[in-house]
Amino acid sequence: MSERPIPPRRLWWLAAGFAVWCSALVALYAVHAIGCAFAWSAGSLRLGLAAVLFAHLIVMGWMWRDITRASTDPDFGPTGKFLHGAAIWTLVAALVASVLTLGPPLLLTICM
Amino acid sequence: MSEPVEQLSQGAPALRLHRELAAIWATGPGLQRLAAVNHSVIGMRMMITSFTFFAIAGVLGMLTRVQLATPNAAFMDPETYNQVFTMHGSMMLFLFAIPMVESFAVYLTPKILGTRDFAFPRLTAYGYWCYLFGGTILTVSLIAGIAPDGGWFMYTPLSSNVYTPGINADVWLLGVTFVEISALSLAAEIVVSILKIRAPGMALDRMPIFGWYILVTALMMLVAFPPLILGSILLEIERAFGLPFFDPTRGGDPLLWQHLFWLFGHPDVYIIFLPMAGALSTIIPVFAGRPLVGYRAIVVAIVALAFLSFGIWVHHMFTVGIPHLALAFFSAGSAIVAVPTAVQIFAWLATLAHGMPRWSVPMLYVFGFFFIFVMGGLTGVMLAVVPFDWQAHDTYFVVAHMHYVVAGALAFPMLAAFYYWLPLLTGRTAVHRLSVPAFWLVFFGFNLTFFMMHLTGLLGMPRRIYTYQGNEGWNWLNLLSSVGGFVMTIGFALVVIDLFVQLRYGRRVRRNPWGSATLEWAMSIPPAPYAFASIPHLTRTDAIAPGDLALSLARGEGYLGFTRNGWQETLGVHMTTGEPEQLIVLPQPTYLPLFNAFATAAVVLTLLFKLYLLALVAALVTAGMFVFSAHRAGLARDYGPMPVGQGVNLPPHTEVAEAPAWLALICTLVADGTLFTSLLFGAFYLWIAAPNWPAAITPEPSRMLALLAVATLAVAAAAARGSLRAVANGGRARGWIGLAVLALLAAIAAAVGLIAGVAPHPREHALGATAAALLGYVALHAGIGLLFLVSNFLRIGAGFIASRRILDLRLTRLWLDYTLVTGVIAMGLVLALPALVTMLGARP
Repeated sequence: MSERPIPPRRLWWLAAGFAVWCSALVALYAVHAIGCAFAWSAGSLRLGLAAVLFAHLIVMGWMWRDITRASTDPDFGPTGKFLHGAAIWTLVAALVASVLTLGPPLLLTICM
Repeated sequence: MSEPVEQLSQGAPALRLHRELAAIWATGPGLQRLAAVNHSVIGMRMMITSFTFFAIAGVLGMLTRVQLATPNAAFMDPETYNQVFTMHGSMMLFLFAIPMVESFAVYLTPKILGTRDFAFPRLTAYGYWCYLFGGTILTVSLIAGIAPDGGWFMYTPLSSNVYTPGINADVWLLGVTFVEISALSLAAEIVVSILKIRAPGMALDRMPIFGWYILVTALMMLVAFPPLILGSILLEIERAFGLPFFDPTRGGDPLLWQHLFWLFGHPDVYIIFLPMAGALSTIIPVFAGRPLVGYRAIVVAIVALAFLSFGIWVHHMFTVGIPHLALAFFSAGSAIVAVPTAVQIFAWLATLAHGMPRWSVPMLYVFGFFFIFVMGGLTGVMLAVVPFDWQAHDTYFVVAHMHYVVAGALAFPMLAAFYYWLPLLTGRTAVHRLSVPAFWLVFFGFNLTFFMMHLTGLLGMPRRIYTYQGNEGWNWLNLLSSVGGFVMTIGFALVVIDLFVQLRYGRRVRRNPWGSATLEWAMSIPPAPYAFASIPHLTRTDAIAPGDLALSLARGEGYLGFTRNGWQETLGVHMTTGEPEQLIVLPQPTYLPLFNAFATAAVVLTLLFKLYLLALVAALVTAGMFVFSAHRAGLARDYGPMPVGQGVNLPPHTEVAEAPAWLALICTLVADGTLFTSLLFGAFYLWIAAPNWPAAITPEPSRMLALLAVATLAVAAAAARGSLRAVANGGRARGWIGLAVLALLAAIAAAVGLIAGVAPHPREHALGATAAALLGYVALHAGIGLLFLVSNFLRIGAGFIASRRILDLRLTRLWLDYTLVTGVIAMGLVLALPALVTMLGARP
């Protein structure tokens, strides 16, 4: 009974990184579809896509900085430490997944 | 404020306690079995039902292999063959795989988490009956010769009215949706139960890894099923009423179906795989004799897998003409999803490598799983490469891959789990003389059947053909596949015989025969209906020793080691730390879930036979029965904190803020919000991609009606707050409830008025159909809000809602807030549609 209860809302952190990954994927897919449908120039569409990806990477970077700076409250005990570590690693995994899955495709032919 | 009604029977000897608990928790004999709500009973029924459907689907699979064993076979005509292979896939996926993993979850999860039952036993029972009735509808259609025949993924336009004019496709759309009600209700139930009902002291970092797998799977189900449910509803509306969501001649797009289907279909592979991986992560450490390596890494991998599996749905659509750049997102995602899967595989291998593996029957199947799943995973990475997929698409290579990842990754861990937990269910052990040859027959037969399909696929054999000429070079491969199919079937038959022999002649086992360290073995076997005579408290320092713990719990030395008021009691805990925080009083056996499922079945059947007026009546009856079912749920007076043992006093769930029902509604809204988001996606998809959209549109929707709808929804949400405040302060809420009812009626009227004025007419063009669907969504949710309010009114009158018991009113407030938010978005999109169409006109 010595652990201070961790607020349940902190569980959302486990999903936060990949939620941003999902948002990036959906946004890129949508912007690409709209750009191709309305015949945006290849340069501006590619720039727009890069901006969307970059914005999401910034968000993830900010989240990563925020979560690693906030060291685990010792009152939360082992459970807090476990959840904190798991949240950091899911965020790192999401960041790597974003770079690998969403970055290189932007170099391909734009609407073919 | 502690006020137990009866004298507690604390310190009762184990036998007396068992008798008292059994009298409260047991399901009655005879017809009373239909009133069962206990998770053990329902879980067992689901298992038996799902294996029955597995047997039927297996026979259908064998029929296809008979037909394809030789060229130009006349065993089946093409029409019958179409029904047979469609039903084989549909039954395997929807009636066997998903319900089977759910049945494992239902039966085992409360026991592994050290508690007595799920949070909503009546919902468990309702989910089971929906599954049984939906599956029965599909099976009967097969016997009647009107079974679905458009393939297990029902692609449009083949499944639209023009090409499938009978009721075959309707059977699939309505039957499968009926079954999915079961999947969604159980998913919400499982999420809430894992987060709120565990053994006290079981913090999330101490939760058995099986719990994490099932939790993530259930969350995935909440998000994966709604897109398919929406797609099925839209396609059924198109077929029944002519609204052209998927008809390209009227502004629809058949590819929208593929998007909605695969938004469900791809995560579904992982929904099936993850619980089985949970079983493996439970079994492997037991037989390796050491704890699982990489607990936290596995939790991270499961979360990653859950998300990544959603982001790669388009890899089933590589050949539909999507630009290369967009394909590359999904191709890369499809390759990278192998990483979290590999994390688990390596964790299992490391556990085995660092332990002293014992080779028993479950481990044989674990070995089989490794072999099969790695092969399936590797062909999956091959298919993730777009140019390869273009070559192999719609060939038997894909059939082989799918069977390796779905059938193999399901069947082998399932049989490992079956042999591992069977002593728990039966109290007896398997007969090795049968189970070992059964394994080798299944393993050899499986590989012979499906490995050959890789080769026939690479030689160009397309899927779904009912016969072939014989000069393509496929003959011997097909013959071997068919022979393998029969060998595999003999293996499964031996497993069934083994089960019956075990039940009749199996050696009785001592408790915890495998020497495991999870709580399901700390009870009598087979388990009593209450599972644990008293609920354990876990500490950080003590390892779980089921043998010793079982005796102590049977003597009532844990929590709730007594009976009180004839209540079915268990404990609710804090989500993260697992500290006890509420006493949960569960409902007794009742026929209501069965009757509710009958009413729901009536809705489905009347829709199937196009008796729409009757369907409306049946829907109203069903809604009324739900309100009636909730009428007397919970406790009708305040009790305050009551003793639960171990010197702890806790309030009942009716008097706390974090009651399970609150979390359940959040889960429901997550699923509902996914459906709404899928609808928005559909609207934008048709706008951007569908052919034959007008260049401009002159008649615009009435802004006044739209404003009225939004304003009245806001009034209803505000009135819900008013009623909550009034009751919390000891006042009366009927005026507020009346105001909310009037506001919702006005909102419904405004939405219906808008639907009547939609232009172009919803039957003429997908633009109008989309607007009608959005408005229908708003009206439906306002209607459900009315049910909430009626329930509030009745329950206030019956004394179930009072100043300390305001959960119902909080639920109503949350529902009406959600209705308002989605209403604003839907109305905004309906108003913006003309402008969007004008933008299309300006497109070069």
